[in-house]
Amino acid sequence: MNNSKKFIHLYSKSLLSLGLLLIFILSLFSINWEDKLIHSGGKATLAQISRAIFSPDFSGEILHLSFISTWRTLVYAVAGISLAIIIAFIFGVLSSGILFKNKTTKKIFMHIFRRILGFMRSIHELIWAWLFVAALGLTPFSAIFALAIPYGGTLGRIFSDMLKDVSNKPIEALDSSGASNFQILFYGYLPMVKLDMISYTMYRFECAVRSSAIMSFIGLGGLGYQIQLSLADLAYNEVWTFIFFLVSLVIFIDLWSNILRNILIKDNNKSSIFGLNFKKLSFLLILTLLISSWWFIFKIEGADIFSFFSEKNYYYTKKFLSELIGIGRDDIAYLNLFHWKNALVLTLQTLNMSILAIGFSTIGMLITVIPVARNISDGSLGRTAKWYNRILFSIIRFIYIFSRAVPELIWAMIVIFVFKPGILPGAIALALHNFGILGKLSAEAIEGIDARPIKNLSTSGANSPEQLFYGIIPDIMKKFITYIIYRWEVILRTTIIVGFVGAGGLGHQFKLSMSYFHYTEITLILVCYILLVWFADILSDKMREIIK
Amino acid sequence: MKKIVTLLIIALMVFSLAACSNDESTNSDDNNKEKVFKIGGIPDQNASKLNRRFEDLAKYIGEETGLTVEYVPTVDYSALVTAFERGEIHLGWFGGLTGVQARNVVDGAEAIAQRPRDEEFHSVFIAQKDLELKKLTDVKGLSFTFGSESSTSGHLMPRHFLIEEGLDPKSDFDGQVNFSGSHDKTWKLVESGAFQTGALNEAVWESAVEEGKVDLDKVSVFYTTPAYYDYNWTINNVDKDFGKGTKEEVKEALLSVGEDQKEIMELFEADKFIETKNENYEAIKSVAKKLGIIK
Repeated sequence: MNNSKKFIHLYSKSLLSLGLLLIFILSLFSINWEDKLIHSGGKATLAQISRAIFSPDFSGEILHLSFISTWRTLVYAVAGISLAIIIAFIFGVLSSGILFKNKTTKKIFMHIFRRILGFMRSIHELIWAWLFVAALGLTPFSAIFALAIPYGGTLGRIFSDMLKDVSNKPIEALDSSGASNFQILFYGYLPMVKLDMISYTMYRFECAVRSSAIMSFIGLGGLGYQIQLSLADLAYNEVWTFIFFLVSLVIFIDLWSNILRNILIKDNNKSSIFGLNFKKLSFLLILTLLISSWWFIFKIEGADIFSFFSEKNYYYTKKFLSELIGIGRDDIAYLNLFHWKNALVLTLQTLNMSILAIGFSTIGMLITVIPVARNISDGSLGRTAKWYNRILFSIIRFIYIFSRAVPELIWAMIVIFVFKPGILPGAIALALHNFGILGKLSAEAIEGIDARPIKNLSTSGANSPEQLFYGIIPDIMKKFITYIIYRWEVILRTTIIVGFVGAGGLGHQFKLSMSYFHYTEITLILVCYILLVWFADILSDKMREIIK
Repeated sequence: MKKIVTLLIIALMVFSLAACSNDESTNSDDNNKEKVFKIGGIPDQNASKLNRRFEDLAKYIGEETGLTVEYVPTVDYSALVTAFERGEIHLGWFGGLTGVQARNVVDGAEAIAQRPRDEEFHSVFIAQKDLELKKLTDVKGLSFTFGSESSTSGHLMPRHFLIEEGLDPKSDFDGQVNFSGSHDKTWKLVESGAFQTGALNEAVWESAVEEGKVDLDKVSVFYTTPAYYDYNWTINNVDKDFGKGTKEEVKEALLSVGEDQKEIMELFEADKFIETKNENYEAIKSVAKKLGIIK
């Protein structure tokens, strides 16, 4: 008994990876590979789409449209994330429990607010958007709230964790000096977590830009809207132009936040760009963005707070909610066994799609990650650097950024041109987006490993594959699995979205039910979706414990 | 810089206050301005064509009735129905099914006008030419795409006629059924080879052929459905907001479109609008009920 426990403990990582691999292989069987999976004309379409990458439409009209759409996408991202920060700050502080000294109140508050934050982020922003549009109509607020709530949930959870992890000593010192709880928060906690908060927020801001781009799906003009229109006209060269703009925006934010993070961590006040202090420059840029974005939303987009709190919105929100519950109806889907059966099949399909997606992403990552880690490509990890390593490094890094800068939904819209509708195109779209993220994280993990044991292997004459298997893999396996589990959680949340464009699972049923105004079916789908996300949360927590 | 977080929060608060006060001024502006009469249309085809079509018509209705008329584009069929329900769209160009959905949720909404062809509307089934299909049942085993889920001529009626012929869209096609989203996209997908067959609105097909956009060597019609009532102008309870008689005025304006508005009507693939009424769409309603789309 004890021995087997020991065995499990010793090999937990390997057992878990083996288990995950088995699940992935099982999920492959859910697809009938003997059927033709590609449309009869899919290959030709794929060729057309790929060719168009090299001839994007840079005509004046399209460029003009691109700039306007990029701006709108950015504006909504800024507005959404700024609200999210406020939400996250308030809820994060409350759920960290640092404001309360009484143990029981602390526990209760922490529990309640954790749950609220969890709920906020368990629903994808596009689903929030759809719900808001149904309740509030097509106002800019629908999109902004739809962004602010899930991002507030994610940021809030992280803020709360950061606050809880703050070292006790300075706080106790403040406490004993008689500082009030709020004084402790502002003078004790905040200065210590400020840097982490900023750098994590910057990372989420990059994600918010992508989310803002796909808000077009509910009727908001932006890059996603233009991509959708051009796809409808099968004008692939225009599609790529808009995608290039989106990618550039994401890369710009990525670079900016990287530099800012480095400067903040090193507390380097001297770094400058064009002779201007980078920190000050960043601060000014943020301020300008904030002001101009909100100005744009109120003045140009015509957002109106007063009409927002109107009787009319109250009436329609109430009506929408009672329709979701099915008040006064006798055909309530969530009380109907047949509907449940149908929804559970779709839930399984969705789960299946997420497993395929993470499997494909992992394969993609494993194939590409080795040349991409800086310490491998420059030879500092034992292997000699060959001339092609640098080139490979740059190409794959660019593919990583490119693939993750394009939101899953947009990948799905494109993939569906080539593959037949079903869970496979959905999984491929999700994998296209996620393998870049997984690759980047994993490359960083490799860059972070201790080089000495590997150098030893190298000097004792081990060749490249041997170095890989004995030196690198055991060291980074734990990190890889952690990232894979984490990305799987994110993917599961997004599977419903790719279903909107015909990629199967719960998402497609959601779209159909929305089109036909079958509200109680939507409730049922949402219930299944939330249960699935919760299940994934619990499961991944357990898996993380195993590999700890 | 040290207090960047605090500063940001303060900036945000100040700004949201400023935003609120901004808002009051725009709000009072709104009260002085006259109300805008908003028209919308289902996004069933090429967006740039729809923009021209409805913007020109909005201008015409404005001139005829003295109202300030504005066209509001939408990206989704059901979004237009929702906006109509909320009274944010006063006059909507709906398909047969979306019209029924819209009138279902707004008591007193009325179908007032349509094109002559909408009294006897058809869907066409198209296929890649070299498949040489002859009859509807030939689609069995081929890949197939509908238009939008909410489309009458691109989904509801084609599905209905497929079922009448004993075909099950769920299992009789190669792969799952696809929803392309719009009529233009349907023929483009078949022409490009992505799908072997598809069904779409006859009017959209004809105008694409007329304008020489379709390559008839690659794709052709092999079946045309029996006639049914389709597109219509459905008007909201506008007399309440714009004064008594507005509904009649708008209807009059639509019905008196003539030679002088030829360019507008070309964009509608017709030469005039004729009268219609809610009862004309009972058949559509019962088909939608039978297919479980309307409950």
